[in-house]
Amino acid sequence: MPTLVGLFACLGVLSAQAQNKTITGKVTDSKDGSALVGASVVVRGSKTGTQTGSDGTFKISVPSSTTHIVISSVGFGTQEVYIVNKTSVDVSLTAVNDQLNDVVVIGYGTARKKDLTGSVVSVQAKDFNQGVITSPDQLLQNKVAGLEITNSSGQPGAAPTIQIRGTSSIRSSNNPLYVVDGVPLDGSSARPNIGTSFGSTPNSNPLLYIDPASIAQIDVLKDASAAAIYGARGSNGVIVITTKKASAGPIKMEFNSNFGTSMGFMKRFAILDAGQYRSALTKYGEPASLDGGTSVDALKAITQSTLSQNYSLAFSGGNEAGRFRASFLGSDQKGFIKTTGLQKYLATIGGNYKFLDKRLTLDFNMITGNYAELLTSVGNNTGSQGNLISSAVSWNPTQSFTNPATGLYNFPSNGSGNPLAFIDGYNDKSSVFSFLGNISAAYKLTDKLEYKILYGVNSGTGTRTQNLEGWVAGIAGVSGLGTGQIATSKLNSQTITHTLNYKTDLSSSITMDALAGYEYFKTDYSGTGISGTGFNTNLNQATRITIPYTSMMQDAATQTPFFSYANPTAEIQSYFARLSFNYKDKWLLTGTVRDDGSSKFGKNNKYGLFPSGSLKWNASNEKFMQGNKLFSSLAFRASYGLTGNQEYPAGSSQEQFALNSFNNAPQVVNGNPNLKWEKTATMNIGADFSFLGGKLYGSLEYYNRTTSDILFQTNAIQPAPSSISFINLPNANLINSGVELALGATLIDKRDLGWNVNFNYAYNANMIKKFTDPNTGLNLQVQTGQVNGQGVSGTLAQVIANNQPVNEYFLKPFGGFDASGNQIIGANPQYAGDPNPHSLVGFNTSVRLKKFTFTLNTGGSFGFLIYNNTATSITNISGIAQGRNIDLAAYNSKEAPSSGVGASTRFLEKGDYFKLRNFTVRYSIGSAGKYIKNLSAFVSGSNLFVITKFTGFDPEVNIDKSNNSYPSRSIEYVPYPTPRTLSFGFNFNL
Amino acid sequence: MKLNNNIIKYALPLIAVFAMSGCTKLNEGLGSTLTNSQVSSALGAQGTGLLLSAAYSDLGGVFTGQDQVFSLEENSTDESLVPTRGGDWDDNGVWRVIHNHTWNADHGQVLTVFNNLNKINFDATNVLGFNPTASQNAEARFIRALALYYLLDIYGQFPLRNPGDNLLLPPTVYTGQAAATFIISELNAILPNLPTANGPNKANPDACSILLMRCLLQQGTWANRAAPTFAAADMAQVITLGNSIITSGKYKYATNYFDNFSPNNASSPEAIFYYPNFSGVAANNSGITARWNMGLHYNSYTPFNPNAGWNGFSTIGDFYASFNTSGAPLTFGPADTAWDPRLGGRNYLNSKTISGINPGFLVGQQYNETGAKEVDRKGNLLAFTPVIAANMLETGSNLELTGIRVVKYAPDYPQYQGNGGNNLMFFRYPDAVLMVAEAKLRTGDNAGAMALVNQVRTARGAAPLTGTLNLVDPNPGAYGGSVPDGPKSLLAELGREFYWESHRRTDLERFGVFGTIWQYKPTDNATYLLFPIPNQALAANPNLKQNPGY
Repeated sequence: MPTLVGLFACLGVLSAQAQNKTITGKVTDSKDGSALVGASVVVRGSKTGTQTGSDGTFKISVPSSTTHIVISSVGFGTQEVYIVNKTSVDVSLTAVNDQLNDVVVIGYGTARKKDLTGSVVSVQAKDFNQGVITSPDQLLQNKVAGLEITNSSGQPGAAPTIQIRGTSSIRSSNNPLYVVDGVPLDGSSARPNIGTSFGSTPNSNPLLYIDPASIAQIDVLKDASAAAIYGARGSNGVIVITTKKASAGPIKMEFNSNFGTSMGFMKRFAILDAGQYRSALTKYGEPASLDGGTSVDALKAITQSTLSQNYSLAFSGGNEAGRFRASFLGSDQKGFIKTTGLQKYLATIGGNYKFLDKRLTLDFNMITGNYAELLTSVGNNTGSQGNLISSAVSWNPTQSFTNPATGLYNFPSNGSGNPLAFIDGYNDKSSVFSFLGNISAAYKLTDKLEYKILYGVNSGTGTRTQNLEGWVAGIAGVSGLGTGQIATSKLNSQTITHTLNYKTDLSSSITMDALAGYEYFKTDYSGTGISGTGFNTNLNQATRITIPYTSMMQDAATQTPFFSYANPTAEIQSYFARLSFNYKDKWLLTGTVRDDGSSKFGKNNKYGLFPSGSLKWNASNEKFMQGNKLFSSLAFRASYGLTGNQEYPAGSSQEQFALNSFNNAPQVVNGNPNLKWEKTATMNIGADFSFLGGKLYGSLEYYNRTTSDILFQTNAIQPAPSSISFINLPNANLINSGVELALGATLIDKRDLGWNVNFNYAYNANMIKKFTDPNTGLNLQVQTGQVNGQGVSGTLAQVIANNQPVNEYFLKPFGGFDASGNQIIGANPQYAGDPNPHSLVGFNTSVRLKKFTFTLNTGGSFGFLIYNNTATSITNISGIAQGRNIDLAAYNSKEAPSSGVGASTRFLEKGDYFKLRNFTVRYSIGSAGKYIKNLSAFVSGSNLFVITKFTGFDPEVNIDKSNNSYPSRSIEYVPYPTPRTLSFGFNFNL
Repeated sequence: MKLNNNIIKYALPLIAVFAMSGCTKLNEGLGSTLTNSQVSSALGAQGTGLLLSAAYSDLGGVFTGQDQVFSLEENSTDESLVPTRGGDWDDNGVWRVIHNHTWNADHGQVLTVFNNLNKINFDATNVLGFNPTASQNAEARFIRALALYYLLDIYGQFPLRNPGDNLLLPPTVYTGQAAATFIISELNAILPNLPTANGPNKANPDACSILLMRCLLQQGTWANRAAPTFAAADMAQVITLGNSIITSGKYKYATNYFDNFSPNNASSPEAIFYYPNFSGVAANNSGITARWNMGLHYNSYTPFNPNAGWNGFSTIGDFYASFNTSGAPLTFGPADTAWDPRLGGRNYLNSKTISGINPGFLVGQQYNETGAKEVDRKGNLLAFTPVIAANMLETGSNLELTGIRVVKYAPDYPQYQGNGGNNLMFFRYPDAVLMVAEAKLRTGDNAGAMALVNQVRTARGAAPLTGTLNLVDPNPGAYGGSVPDGPKSLLAELGREFYWESHRRTDLERFGVFGTIWQYKPTDNATYLLFPIPNQALAANPNLKQNPGY
């Protein structure tokens, strides 16, 4: 068979050699001696090469003059092997710990980590968080200094609050820009948001359709130098997600499975149990008739421990000229609260093909599938009734849920509602079909110049149906009637990007990398909705049928006018360029500029120019550092740049008239043709270092971000079509500044024992200055932070005011209780503290002991206050007099049941917390039998405990209590609680 | 040179591609709303009608909502208050400060009312820029005049734009006499152009006359709220305008006073102008159900709508007592309703078989549809009592029972919590009659005034007043209450006829007694004769001037 081998060699090499010899060998991991698959074996100084097979072996035909071959593999050090007079070599590669050679995804390109001049943190799949992961952001929680991810809801698939380096915009979202495989997303989800009479429901995570297991790497671009290439949309930072790609090699199959279940509350809201409730009735002299004579735990009764299942399957393979990877996910995750959950069916398919002597590269990636959310009624700003958690915490714990004689639900007339009836009679389902795809072609015009075109589409359609059956008593406007709603929405965004990339050596010591590009981005969002009340079925619990109202909307006696809408098409057109110089790997200079035009702005201000520059000095590459024993590497970075923000409602620059139901057409938008970009200037200084041969490494950064020309939703000057209008504030500045420290260490790295530790810390302070109205020069003050519930309507807890942090608490002071046990609340609100966490801490460690790996992920936030709206209005002491449950803190206080309800500083609590997010034990069996490889099994526990003084459900909380679209911060209000979860599973390759 | 050649060969064409693809103009296309020019071009003359319709529909919320004009005009007076009841109705103290006259320029209701009245002001003005017909022009200006009347009365000033003004620039502000003159001249100008065929659901000449009469009666108060004056010429015009309505024969008194407020009140023979609501129709419904829910107890309408009532709004005992013109002993029970049927408390529209709720004043034991006694949520008998805690903070075990509740609009039972069909009354026939009576009394025609007052009383089934009719009782103390007035006065009659119809504050000011002391308002000063300009509005428009004292 030598001829055949030779033929293969020829095909691989594409240039026939006269005199060849054959080298064989095996490449292994120095740690455990396992075979390294797909390692590259190349003749030194040429492109001739091959890859190791599934058993780590290779066979290469090399010119007889060859002296060395170069062996390398991603994640491992490179080794050169002397082959003169050898026909067989075995090589063991050592895993690289310093990560300096990792490839980091920057805008429209990649760079080695050691060449980065900006502040970028890259997290690889092997370092991702473990446990129950429903969306990509959870992979990163507590992994990146300055990246704050707050999961406010235990509902699987609910949107977290994600902020990079604090709040840079006083209104709208502070969410970063997501870029998936080169396609920037618009950040919205196609799940319809139905506004109900129970208030707004938490949003859905916009990344739900991305299978976390299909992600290879996530890069977080923090400073302007890194993000400015994304210009207009980069001011909140950028999160770049790269899905797994096939590597050349034999066809491979990976199978992953996991199973999980909720294991009770991570932390319970402290309310009275039945015994305490009876004591309370006695203590407060309430009628004994309020004792229902039994003992129930409403919080427990609404929860479930049903098994969740996730299966994923991936195929990949190919060669240097063409590779593909396809993965499939089927997931049925059960929520902690009965009837809730998240079901996903997703496919992720990608390929890479090379043509024309590898000068032309075609890439495609697509993520497509369906996800269904099974929701419950946990609204953000529900009033006195209609929130399930509110109903559960205020349920009289001595009262049975059902009448034992009839089996029908009890409905007390105390306003608590029956939580189990609510679960039974309410259903809310959304189903979204989503597609994210891109195709790109890159052509090497010369060895140095490459042209690339990328076309990407993100499309989604969602439907949501919501029913509340009429037999559920005690709900205004619904009981005795029944209500149903159907809504749909459609999202479509498209991206076209052209780039030219030119890399060259300007001299023997200076290399240059230049990039120029054009990008066009367009997004459309539209939707419809119908709703009705007054149905003829399900008005009596005993005679229920299973047909939902939303399957027969025409039956509704009161049909609210149907509606449909289409948001203005938002277009962004951009020209950008980046120029990088590298002088002997000692000095690196990068400059970027992006000119963005947006259809949202007025005629004269459509374009904004966003430049940045950064400089890096690799001190350890200087001669005077050579031979020093302390540092393995040391580099200093400085950058400055501008990024933009246009996150405000499209159409605000134009006067708009709406055609409404009932034949009227009011003007609805004031229109401001002078609107222009909000700008954020970021200065960043950083140092990257490693010691002891890279075993201890880290970085330290300082930044200052100043937002100006703030896009401000102001009070319209009356008379006006709307109470609000948008302007830029020319004088005001929002300033975030802070420091970040990331440290990592490989404490032990032996064959049978390894120990890695990672720690990160971030401090951020936030302040708004010169916050004045441009017309009158008077100080502006925006109140937000709705406090909801009975007796506190219209109360706002937070303020955006001059010389204060954004969302500073602004509350009436609490002065204890008077002699009769009534609250004493001061007359005038005052500044009462900061709801923005000042310090974020993450600590992760993993220990490898023979075939076991133990991974621990912990983290916390410190230096902020939470407002406990649940205690203010849902479980306050006055409830006991009506036979509702109350919270333990009120019971233990000197307060009397006659005390009035009221928002005050009494309900501000320290939010500091530290959480054990996840602990995982994995057992790597390795190969089993002839075909099964990399077999491993794991057991994982999430949200195991939290250390905090906060008395509510979970100090990691940020319920959306926005007012007039001004976001709030750190307010708790009857949230979907966080469960402890236990999961286990196994995976293997074929 | 190879490099350069390649650049020319490949890169330049590509750059050309870039430039060509970069031809997007970035003109924003609206998805489902129309631009200014589209309203004219695509909708044409019909578009003007739609804009006018929008102005009409603006009248719904701001005049119906319990926390808007109603709150400022009624809770600030002797007719209404909202005590905090344990866990209910603290709402950061907003209700209590309205009643005891300690509000400030950050009060949310003061802001909402300012914005919403100005929304009417804007939408009505906008009609004028879209080539309206003569009658559309007149209707739009009537609606605007109505909003400006309330703005001037509540805030002492109003901003006004011309059609098509740049909305980013602060508009002119009218104050004092100029403001009054503007409204009056507008109403005089449009009176001949309003279609006589328009019914009470649209602007019509009689509605215009009523508003004009109010302005003429009121302008001396706007000029000097501490010591109102009344020009003889104004009074004469009020009498002329009012008499033309009275003698037109178009209106008569309803058989039952509460027919004016029932779900069928579209056919009330007293209706001159109302905001139309349609039972069970969500579109443009003003939320009239608030008018009965706001006072009713949670258990008022079981079992069909448990927890429906809001357990809040009440009236004060002294106001209730002002219905007693005979001096008979107060019983705070059904017996009192014999004094004056406007106290209600009688079975109406089958309420006995549906809920047991009788419209009017609810005091004493409440009963359900079977005649059984209602209880509160603690199991106490649901018997409303007249006395409220002095500081309006109810803390006792009877906190759900205190306060006389008022249900002026009879519940539309099929839509108890949905979209009620009762139209919101702005102007009724007795407005014309009692304004003429007031103008006569203010110009010395006591007998003429008394005749008109007694005409109304007779129509209501109340005993005629005897003796001298006073504007305000000169000796209210003799009656024993703390209301600003005794029962045998014109002001007391206005209260009895128009209670909870959102102009008590205006009347008390015009009669010069808004600053006197009454129940649950132990002190007062002249600052509160005007509400403040909301701080937010002040920060946006430098032409607005804060009212003295704030």
